[in-house]
Amino acid sequence: MLNIEHLTKRYGDKKAVDDLSLRIRPGEIFGFIGHNGAGKSTTLKSAVGILQFDAGTITIGGKDLLAEPVACKKALAYIPDNPDLYEFMSGIKYLNFIADIFGIPAAERQEKIRKYADLFELTGDLAQPISAYSHGMKQKLAVISAWLHDPKLIVMDEPFVGLDPKASHLLKEMMREHCDKGGAIFFSTHVLEVAEKLCDKVAIIKQGRLIKVGTMEEVKGDDSLEEVFLELEAE
Amino acid sequence: MLGLLLKKQLTEVFRSYFYDAKKNKMRSKPAIALWIVFFVVIMVGVLGGMFTVLSLSLCGSLVMADMGWLYFVLMGGIAILLGAFGSVFNTYAGLYLAKDNDLLLSLPIPVGTIMAARLLNVFLLGAMYSLPVLIPALAVYWIVAGVTVSRVVCGVLLLLIITVIVLLLSCVLGWAVAKISLRLKNKSFLTVLAALLFIAAYYFFYFKANDLIRDLLLNASVYGEKIKGAAYGLYLFGRIGEGDWTAAAIYAAATAALSALVWFLMSRSFVRIATSSGNTEKQRYVEKAVKLRSPFSALLAKEFGRFTSSANYMLNCGLGVLLIPALGVLLLLKGREICLVLGEVFAARPGTVAVLLCTMLCMLVSMNDMAVPSVSLEGKSLWIPQSLPVKAKTVLRAKLSVQLILTLLPMLFAVLCASFVSGETLAVRLLLVLMPLTFALFWSLLGLFVGIRMPLLNWTDETAPIKQSGAILIIIFGAWGVAAALAGLYLLIGYRLGATAYLAIWTALSAVGSLLLLRWIDSKGAEAFEAL
Repeated sequence: MLNIEHLTKRYGDKKAVDDLSLRIRPGEIFGFIGHNGAGKSTTLKSAVGILQFDAGTITIGGKDLLAEPVACKKALAYIPDNPDLYEFMSGIKYLNFIADIFGIPAAERQEKIRKYADLFELTGDLAQPISAYSHGMKQKLAVISAWLHDPKLIVMDEPFVGLDPKASHLLKEMMREHCDKGGAIFFSTHVLEVAEKLCDKVAIIKQGRLIKVGTMEEVKGDDSLEEVFLELEAE
Repeated sequence: MLGLLLKKQLTEVFRSYFYDAKKNKMRSKPAIALWIVFFVVIMVGVLGGMFTVLSLSLCGSLVMADMGWLYFVLMGGIAILLGAFGSVFNTYAGLYLAKDNDLLLSLPIPVGTIMAARLLNVFLLGAMYSLPVLIPALAVYWIVAGVTVSRVVCGVLLLLIITVIVLLLSCVLGWAVAKISLRLKNKSFLTVLAALLFIAAYYFFYFKANDLIRDLLLNASVYGEKIKGAAYGLYLFGRIGEGDWTAAAIYAAATAALSALVWFLMSRSFVRIATSSGNTEKQRYVEKAVKLRSPFSALLAKEFGRFTSSANYMLNCGLGVLLIPALGVLLLLKGREICLVLGEVFAARPGTVAVLLCTMLCMLVSMNDMAVPSVSLEGKSLWIPQSLPVKAKTVLRAKLSVQLILTLLPMLFAVLCASFVSGETLAVRLLLVLMPLTFALFWSLLGLFVGIRMPLLNWTDETAPIKQSGAILIIIFGAWGVAAALAGLYLLIGYRLGATAYLAIWTALSAVGSLLLLRWIDSKGAEAFEAL
């Protein structure tokens, strides 16, 4: 589904991501673990075409992100770490805007908006301007907009930050359901417990370099990573 | 602490002068110097020049009639109007809507310090507009009446008093807008309506200014006595400029007392207004039928939504929507007389009337600049268009289309009016339609080009990209410069070609420029947008 090969991204002289390769298959919830500033967000942003990278290739569903950016973006949804949405729109206008961009027919979108807004208890606030939303409400709206068009790949940057326990639980269920239907999820976190309970596979990144990929058991069983885990737990 | 906060705000306002967002690094010293020179030329050269001419026309006669105080009342009044006009619409946004209000309030900084930093910013903005009136006014007076210690000291004091009055007026009006905004729905449109009434009054007096000044100079002694009798405060105000220590002391004390009162009133409500979400009541969601729109239509609707959601954006970048058709109506009503008078004045340069009509229309194009800040206004939401499956060129074309729709439609009406009243040949009438329209197209494209090349994405107050960025200055004053060149070049050498050929050349240049810019926006511009 998502194939990253030898990705390198520099900010000036500093390498934020250094020769990183990853493969995320359909049906996988893939956790991307690392401490703050390790290069998680840079990798995620590069994978969804927001950030231009210096070297490497990224393919989504077999399509090259640089050669066919629009086709790749049609297959994915992205939720950033900070949901800065269009504050001048109401919640419903934002969802309709996203639905229009993805060409979702009226009846289908209304059904999905109804379903997910009810699940996240956001229906009553859909007419409100986004500027009046709390951080958690914006995060919920970003999640709903990501699920609107049934993307094959969902990329999320620290998706549970700001969500209440009920919404977090709901999101985890939706992630599992999405992958059970053949979709893939690539998300970043620095909370080991979340990765342990949710992910089929994890990758650990430190100072821009990938240091381990595998199932959580495989990764946790690697004694050489003890220091990394201690650092993450301390965070 | 206050200095630190002020530095942060001013750095944001003037960031594009020091920092090249495209190259992600500081500009070189020569480039910074060039930007500052450009800014000074605009403020001192254009605005200062205009008011030097006005000061020269008023000062001599009034000083000779021993009514220097009336000269200062007039020039001071203009400075207050211009300063308040320039900053009032930003005071509300700058004081209460700054995105970092919550952050600063959470830090161990006294609320008074935050307020003072915001107010100093408003003060500097107001001063930026009133000083180009006051400095030439004082200089001309000192030259005409002579320099004495009392005149210089009191003159400088008058300058300070006026800039503080501008600040107080802006604060009171900004505070009133904030209070109203907390209670009203559709506040953007209501703010725009109120502002338009203010602007209408401003232009009414502006157009009447020549008659008023002539009348005033002829009857200066009569008016002078009337003002002294009915509004002694105004007389005292004018006396400050003449070097009257008592008047200066009274006004300095009164201004200080008023400042304290305004500070007291504002500090009581600052935190409540700045942290309010501004909602009157919760709007109930009712599911409505929707239609699937194309991505371009969705983006266009989004851009229109952005434009109409902000009174600040509409007022600073969309006045042409009203002023361009207003010029058309004016031409229908008075156009023939104006054309006859201009025709007689420029009888030696046939075709000048048509060129001047085009000049007026081109100058008004500068009043619509919504494409310029449209890229910067994406701000922290830039990830949305960048992550969606739409080409960057479609996003940019949606931004451009808002300006084209809101400029070309009013312009079509205005050019048809101009063509109708011009009394020129068919070819010139046709060019009177084509030239301003192609120029409006070219200038809209140039606005977007400059907006892409000089983005300002990390703003905390939308006034920064809308009003204070280098991109906006270039486009507004650039249009004035080009329009002036259109008329000036014709009067110098263009008349030898005749209006038809001259306007045809400008039309062709605008069309070619438009094509080149459109090509750049679709290719390099789209790449630059993706790389932001």
